[in-house]
Amino acid sequence: MKVLVTGATTPLGVEIVQQLLANPSVGHVLAVGLEPDAVPATCQRSRFTYQAIDLTRSRAVHDLLFGVGRELGIDTVIHGALHRSVRASGRDVHALNVEATRQLVLESARHPTIRRFIHRSAAEVYAVQSSEPNLLDEDVPLELDPAAPQWVRDRVEADVTVCAQIGRGPLSIAVLRSAEVLAEGAGSQLWDYLQSRVCFRPLGFDPMINLLSVEDYARAVTFAAGLRASGVFNIAGADTLPLSAITRRFGRRGIAIPGPLLAPVYQLRRWTIGREFRYDLNRRRFHFGGVMDGTRAARELGYRPACSLWPDVRSPTLGTRVISFQLN
Amino acid sequence: MLVPHVDTPRARPGADDHRDPIFHDEGYGYDLFGLHPPTAVRALRAVMPWYRRYFGVESRGVENVPSDGGAILVANHGGMLPIDAAMLWADVLHRTARFLRPIADRFIPKVPFASATLARAGVVSGTHANVKHLLDRGELLAIFPEGVSGPAKPFRDRYKLQQWRVGHAELAIRYQVPIVPVAIIGAEESWPVLLRLPFGLFGAPYIPIPMTPFPLPVRLSIHYGRPTELHHRYTVSAADDPRQVAAAAAETHEAVASLIERGLAERRRP
Repeated sequence: MKVLVTGATTPLGVEIVQQLLANPSVGHVLAVGLEPDAVPATCQRSRFTYQAIDLTRSRAVHDLLFGVGRELGIDTVIHGALHRSVRASGRDVHALNVEATRQLVLESARHPTIRRFIHRSAAEVYAVQSSEPNLLDEDVPLELDPAAPQWVRDRVEADVTVCAQIGRGPLSIAVLRSAEVLAEGAGSQLWDYLQSRVCFRPLGFDPMINLLSVEDYARAVTFAAGLRASGVFNIAGADTLPLSAITRRFGRRGIAIPGPLLAPVYQLRRWTIGREFRYDLNRRRFHFGGVMDGTRAARELGYRPACSLWPDVRSPTLGTRVISFQLN
Repeated sequence: MLVPHVDTPRARPGADDHRDPIFHDEGYGYDLFGLHPPTAVRALRAVMPWYRRYFGVESRGVENVPSDGGAILVANHGGMLPIDAAMLWADVLHRTARFLRPIADRFIPKVPFASATLARAGVVSGTHANVKHLLDRGELLAIFPEGVSGPAKPFRDRYKLQQWRVGHAELAIRYQVPIVPVAIIGAEESWPVLLRLPFGLFGAPYIPIPMTPFPLPVRLSIHYGRPTELHHRYTVSAADDPRQVAAAAAETHEAVASLIERGLAERRRP
């Protein structure tokens, strides 16, 4: 297997590259990022090539695939390059999030050696609302609200663009909609939310949230890369707990305040401290939650979450548990 | 005191016919839907004085509730607040040591405090995917097929079953689980509604104004009927046949209606 990884300089990309290189069946990894020289020191140069490429330039994308990509005999593309900042918006952001994705998938479809395309999507593409299940499977409606921030709209558009190519040619496509990867630099809204000592949440609500570790995410991607299974797969994380418990796990003080006050409070925080967390982006999730149902990924990709964010706290034995209690 | 064990279900020491309740831990003491047994037990302790003294709940036929595996309790619904659901939940947990998962209307997750508190006690929002997951895991559900039309019925229509939705029958057939009909007598008179203000808050269809500031101390009785083994008579494919589903739902309607009749007759007896 010879793999092209976009977004390779992000924490998620670095972990994917590391896991691919640890797999002896991977012949070569062609990593792509924006930074001019970002080769991890641990990478074996004989099986690893890094190219700094701006994916918003269509000529650069074409030359990547049909130049070095063809020379190396790349057969799998793992596309994870997305703008991580919610504050970024406009045409350039759309060009990376959507247009680059569109070009990559279309050109991969007519490429002489590429036969597998893995697209990184996220739980944010789902419309979380009270009428939807707590458990989000792949058939939950997508967030198609035109008033949604570009950060969400771009992710939905990129996801749908790739989904539209599934089954249309020899390219086998897997769209991986991951639970929130709680890690620095992973574009996690929750990570930024938890950077304050005091974390506000809506009064009277404490939703269940599913979290994914970087290791598990990379494992799911490498599993998918090695298979031919086509379709959309939810990648669930090992940790499912209420928002208040996540706040406590992080050593933060959680304070519940009336919901309507949260938007101005976090708007003020963005203006003054310049953080990334946007309450409007997370409002429904902070009320109704939404836990990823990873049944399909378990069945077809053989992926099950294994790496907890808090392995010392989480019970090692999941599933049926007997509770003894005395009423009086 | 609450002591969690990782074990197979076993008899509770010192208890007469009880077993310890099981739940599906996601690793932090909560299940996927937010059930938190310590909170549920605290809620049970808070409900028990109402259950024992205020409403003096008596239940009959609790042996009809399966001791394990997926099943659906189907009951009548009425009164201003879901006192019937709370008493049924307490009765099942207290007497069978199973966590009952009442299926709530979809507006419940929007209601502050109710959203979080009810989830910790085991209440789940009524979507098909949620219910499917619970039945796949072998959980015990409570469905009130009258839905909002139950609590909305006028006092004069108490114990007259209203619009009887068929979803519970479809679920029982599709996932091949038994339905246990249940009649709850007393709750429909416990807190009469004076007015229904026709504007909804948090997605509720109306705001009820009660006739009394507190629920009346009406004696409550819960009657569990024999399971209607729909899954023995209908194949899974029947779940997609509207006529067969309607026929199955009519059976459960009949079963609950006759239990109500029996319960009311028993109450009239000196």
